Amino acid sequence: MRPTLQLYWRLLVRYLRPQLGQTLLLLLILCINILLQLINPLIMRRFLDSALAGGAMELLTRLALLFIGIAAVQQVASVGSTVLAENVGWRATNALRRDLARHCLRLDLTFHQQHTPGEMIERIDGDINALTRFFAQLVVQLFGNGLLLIGVLAVLLREDLRVGAAMGTFAVITLLVLGRLRNLAVPHWQRSREASARFFGFVEERLAGTEDIRASNARAFTLFRFHQLLRTFWRTTIRAELLGFSMINIAWFLFSVGGAVAFVMGASLYFSGALTIGTVYLIFHYANLISQPIERIAQEFEQFQRAGAGIARIQELFATESRLAETPAAVGEGEFAQGRAGPAGALAVEFEQVRFAYPTDAPPEETTAGLGQFALDGFQLRLEPNEVLGLLGRTGSGKTTLARLLLRLYDVDSGRVLVAGRDVRRWPLQQLRAQVGMVTQNVQLFQASIRDNLTFFDRSVPDARIWEAIDTLGLTEWYASLGDGLDAQLQIGSGGLSVGESQLVAFTRIFLRNPGVIVLDEASSRLDPATEAFLERAVTRLLSSRTGILIAHRLSTVQRADRIVIVENGEIREQGARGALAADPASHYYRLLQLGIEDMGVEELGMEELSAGEPDR
Amino acid sequence: MTQVSDRPPISVVRAWWGLIRCFPGLYSLTMALRIFVFVGIFQATGLIIRFYFDSLSGSAPLAWGPNAWAAVMLAVALLRNGLIFTDMYVFFRWTFSTAATMRKNLLEHILSRPGARALPSSTGEAISRFREDADEVGNYTVWAVFLLATGIFGAVALITMARINLRVTVFAFMPLLLVVAVANLARARVQQYREANRSAAGDVTGFIGEMFEHVQAVQVAGAEESMLAQFEGLNESRRKNALRDRLFNEVLNSTFHNVASVGMGLILLLAGAALRDGSFTIGDFSLFAYYMTFVTNMINTIGVFFARWKQAGVSIDRMERLLQGAQPTALVRKTPIHLSGPLPPAQEGSHVGTEPLQTLTVSGLTYRFPDSEKGIVDVDLRLERGSFTVVTGRIGAGKTTLLRVLLGLLPPESGTVHWNGRLIHEPATFFVPPVSAYIAQTPSLFSESLRENILLGLDADDGEVAQAVRAAALESDLEQFENGLETVVGPRGVRLSGGQRQRAAAARMFIRQAALLVCDDLSSALDVETEQQLWERLFARQDATYLVVSHRRPLLRRADQIVVFKSGRVEDVGRLEPLLERCAEMRSLWEGRVLEEDE
Repeated sequence: MRPTLQLYWRLLVRYLRPQLGQTLLLLLILCINILLQLINPLIMRRFLDSALAGGAMELLTRLALLFIGIAAVQQVASVGSTVLAENVGWRATNALRRDLARHCLRLDLTFHQQHTPGEMIERIDGDINALTRFFAQLVVQLFGNGLLLIGVLAVLLREDLRVGAAMGTFAVITLLVLGRLRNLAVPHWQRSREASARFFGFVEERLAGTEDIRASNARAFTLFRFHQLLRTFWRTTIRAELLGFSMINIAWFLFSVGGAVAFVMGASLYFSGALTIGTVYLIFHYANLISQPIERIAQEFEQFQRAGAGIARIQELFATESRLAETPAAVGEGEFAQGRAGPAGALAVEFEQVRFAYPTDAPPEETTAGLGQFALDGFQLRLEPNEVLGLLGRTGSGKTTLARLLLRLYDVDSGRVLVAGRDVRRWPLQQLRAQVGMVTQNVQLFQASIRDNLTFFDRSVPDARIWEAIDTLGLTEWYASLGDGLDAQLQIGSGGLSVGESQLVAFTRIFLRNPGVIVLDEASSRLDPATEAFLERAVTRLLSSRTGILIAHRLSTVQRADRIVIVENGEIREQGARGALAADPASHYYRLLQLGIEDMGVEELGMEELSAGEPDR
Repeated sequence: MTQVSDRPPISVVRAWWGLIRCFPGLYSLTMALRIFVFVGIFQATGLIIRFYFDSLSGSAPLAWGPNAWAAVMLAVALLRNGLIFTDMYVFFRWTFSTAATMRKNLLEHILSRPGARALPSSTGEAISRFREDADEVGNYTVWAVFLLATGIFGAVALITMARINLRVTVFAFMPLLLVVAVANLARARVQQYREANRSAAGDVTGFIGEMFEHVQAVQVAGAEESMLAQFEGLNESRRKNALRDRLFNEVLNSTFHNVASVGMGLILLLAGAALRDGSFTIGDFSLFAYYMTFVTNMINTIGVFFARWKQAGVSIDRMERLLQGAQPTALVRKTPIHLSGPLPPAQEGSHVGTEPLQTLTVSGLTYRFPDSEKGIVDVDLRLERGSFTVVTGRIGAGKTTLLRVLLGLLPPESGTVHWNGRLIHEPATFFVPPVSAYIAQTPSLFSESLRENILLGLDADDGEVAQAVRAAALESDLEQFENGLETVVGPRGVRLSGGQRQRAAAARMFIRQAALLVCDDLSSALDVETEQQLWERLFARQDATYLVVSHRRPLLRRADQIVVFKSGRVEDVGRLEPLLERCAEMRSLWEGRVLEEDE
């Protein structure tokens, strides 16, 4: 994708408009700066001609002092414009960062499963950092230097038409050549940035997996991959760097040509008596002076190339659409449009002829990676408000898929998922997720305070509400033991919370949000029986006025369920009231109970089956 | 065991020297090229300008006309371009190689740390050190070359000018030196601002990393907006820091530039009379003006160099914190980075001379987490060859910690581990396949193919892989995958279900044919039937010794010994029946309820 000027322009307008005042001030200071830069060489010319003609010392001194004064003011203007530009740049790119982060946060899981957090850092921060310079310097460099260039040419034309025309031609040719070369390096920069993202993504992932690498003795292998990716990183980077640098190199040579032209013309006009020697020096000085803006503009082109690669990637990211586009109907409807609705109480849930397969598309290197997840096909299930359902089934049987569809982490291929009688696709996403809460087995915690972990950094949640939720759960003592109350910092990894303790945090999170439907996806699988029992009261409380789906492969977990559904290969294998199934020796649930760990009376049978393959010992 | 020490950090100079020792050829080449360009080419250009103007006013030492000097200038420019292009390649190669060396050293060192406590901070923050700080130090070394080249150029220039007109030289260039001294003093604050700036940047990248690592939780909670608000706050704080950093630097830089303009003005002031009487030619004036910009650049270079020096100091400091008390020179240790040529083998040297396990004895093992009461205290344990040991206890009791400390993934405070009566000094390097294999509670997979995740560089044929997959009860899942073993599992394995991840880790364990199998709550993500299948296949292996964390009743029944943990200590050890009789904690775990009087 080749970023066009139009694209740059759109970005510029969109992100600079909110800071119109600052931008205008910046332009004003820039103009002052340029004017002063133009004036000083004229003073020097006057000085040289007067001195060589034996002019009065007093005049020479005055000119020299004026020169110094103007130079000083110009420096102040220069600092002002740089710092202002930097500020404008950061504000603009921070807004861009926010927009891009928001866009990416809303993308569905298919996207996130293909991009490591390290890669996201590189894309949201790395790529945009390259753009920061673009915003910060573009105005100063392109506008300022363009103006300076025009100013110099105007002064030269006034001095001598021939010299002005020659220098103008030279400037135009140089700019054209450099402009031609502009897009040459863009694809290379893009490749280089991709290689860099892969490299740092790799490092990030390995840093997060040191325990497994150590225990599997895989250090050499990790370093092997490190070297492989480093090499790609190097090859793409050096190609892009050298191409970009060739452009500057060409520019430098062209300036020497310009200097030589000024030399030759100046000399011939001087000998013909058309110019004073001071003016020859002025032409030489201006020839150098215009090489500066041209070089800066060329450098800016190079930055354009880098930024271009970044913009192309950012554009690509913005163009990635969530598969979960909100239907206009969802946004429009009144009852849902006014912020978060209060607790609506228990809601009905229904799966209506649901068919679903996990998307198999992926970036080029992963295209054929269709994971053979069980598709749901013609899945039918209804939960009344307040009903608690126990969902059993083997790993990969489709239990978690149901939960994901309910939360609209994916969309069904056909059929409907209904919450409170309304298709989830017709719910505003935020509303839906406020009404359906889920606790998964992998609790994701942030390296932040307890408060931020519970509220997802939402500072508007009052502490009293948080403590109330904690109290309801009966976890007050446990939270108190963390020290510092809600301000206690959670440490990630070892030394921090155990996996079981993380579950306690997840439970509190969901209590705080007070949804109408709750999905506990293997929520208690990491808890030891004693702690699980400890949470009983709280879970009971949580489910009391809500619809609940308990996904489990541990049978103790579904003991509180009113109804049991056993799923296999994406279909319902068995369902019925829990009590009835447990009493029916022909049911699959009954057999599972025997195999499992629930009933002391059948332990011999369970043991026998379990040790079937055991060698004699 | 390794402790974070208060060792003084490696100095910038030592880091610099270390890097030069890694790539002496590259560094000398970049230095030679740059000095030649500055001293040869740039001096020549100045003299050509001087001769040109003197040829106009008729005071040139050579009889060449102005057009000849224009031609010479073009020739010199061509030579300059060729040299600078070569110089750029060497320069990029040097900065890339030095940064790569530091990155590799960091990674290698982190991988040699106790695996469960390898990083002192979040991975996002660590990445910012890998990314920016390594570059910073690499760049700094190049500025040193700049400094040397411009220094030599400046000396030559000063001598040339002094020979033309001593008075103008002294008075025009004197104030420069004074301002340099003052401005450089002010640069002491650079480090402070830079540090704040860097840490604000680290907060931003760290937060992006966490935000997307936990994107599902954020989406499920509908918390996108509050996350973004936090993100904006961090961005805003970075903007302020960056701005302060920039303003300060800009004022300093501008001071240098200003000094040049003032110097130019001083030349005008002083040379006026000499120009009038012809003792100072227009050529001399143009040479002084030419030198003035260069000398200013030189002074600027000095300033930038010292700023970079301090910034490099900050970066080195931050990278050293990742090293957590290793030898200070470890960061710049000479190590091949293999930018070309064959890559080194992907397999670790094999474990030699370990006798088969008879008994594994643990005594007095203690580990406490820093800043917390938690950990394990004074744990004794004995495993016999072929036995099955289950560790159980409620959450936070220290079960996982025990496994980690035993395997060297956490450094013990005290206590010993004996293998057949022989003291193991470095458990971390000893307890690896084929001595032991380990499945963590939440195993890490990497965004590679399933095969690579199982092998992790191990050299095994398809048959062995298939066997391991079967042993891990993963084969029916594998049939569902379109690409079988070549299926790419996504970042951290997210494209697999929790159970699939755990069984993939189990396959990783099996293929390593270890004598001691250590599993941390293997069953938590598995359903009853799959787990049963998995254990059947586990027990089918002759001669293996098991150490397992679990709450499952069938396993507890089967255990040769159960180790009951409570608050970091071993409460009791034994077979199930006697434990149920004598140990209240065991009873409460078994019955799945907490007795009031217990708490």
